[in-house]
Amino acid sequence: MGKKDSNVRMSLQTLRVLEAFLENPTVQLAGAEVHQRCGIASGTLYPILLRLESAGWFVSQWESVDPSIAGRPRRRLYRLTSTGLRRASEVFASFNRGVLA
Amino acid sequence: MSQRNERSTQPESEGVSQWLIHHAARRAPECLSSRLEEEWLADLESRSSALLRLRLALGCCWATMVIVNEYSRIRVPAASPVVAARGYIALADRNFGYFSLRSGTLFLILGLHAALFCGLITTFSHTRELAIQPNLPNQVLNTVPIEMTALPGR
Repeated sequence: MGKKDSNVRMSLQTLRVLEAFLENPTVQLAGAEVHQRCGIASGTLYPILLRLESAGWFVSQWESVDPSIAGRPRRRLYRLTSTGLRRASEVFASFNRGVLA
Repeated sequence: MSQRNERSTQPESEGVSQWLIHHAARRAPECLSSRLEEEWLADLESRSSALLRLRLALGCCWATMVIVNEYSRIRVPAASPVVAARGYIALADRNFGYFSLRSGTLFLILGLHAALFCGLITTFSHTRELAIQPNLPNQVLNTVPIEMTALPGR
């Protein structure tokens, strides 16, 4: 798992998604909320979320509401894992070192 | 007037957006299809205007193309979204080279346009050469024979 994590392709959009989650690592965000924070188009956002979840950086779960009562479909909520938090922090730290060096 | 028009077109555009999301989700890998559809429909509800909804729906169509493209590379048999997500891990190991799918599509479109442009330029230049012959012989006629003939009937 750790070996796989290191090979996640880091694009600018991926970094922006990670940055949105790093603002509050314990928060659970739906795709629409990530879109509002990052401004990334949905065509790019959802593959990134799926990719990061597959790599073990995110976990996702359904919102705990009844769709018939809420009158809308359940949202899928994403959250950083401990591995994702560590790896994302390392990525941003390496970028900062590169910029400051 | 504009509010009335917006109100009248809202259900139609909403229907189009939902249809696009259904269509996009159906084209996604089977193990992810229902999950993506519910997730995207929920996110669709959070968009206020019809234009934003349509934009989300079109983005979902593009997202499906990307997901299918990446998923077809790994070809991991998966029966549940959890297993599918784990199978998708292999995707993170792949280095797809310098170009992403979007960049590749952009370069393909640019290449096709360049080829079309070159073809048109070549065709038009060839046609112009045929229409205007540059080596026309210039001759000065010294004596022009003029013969007046009487028209018949006069």
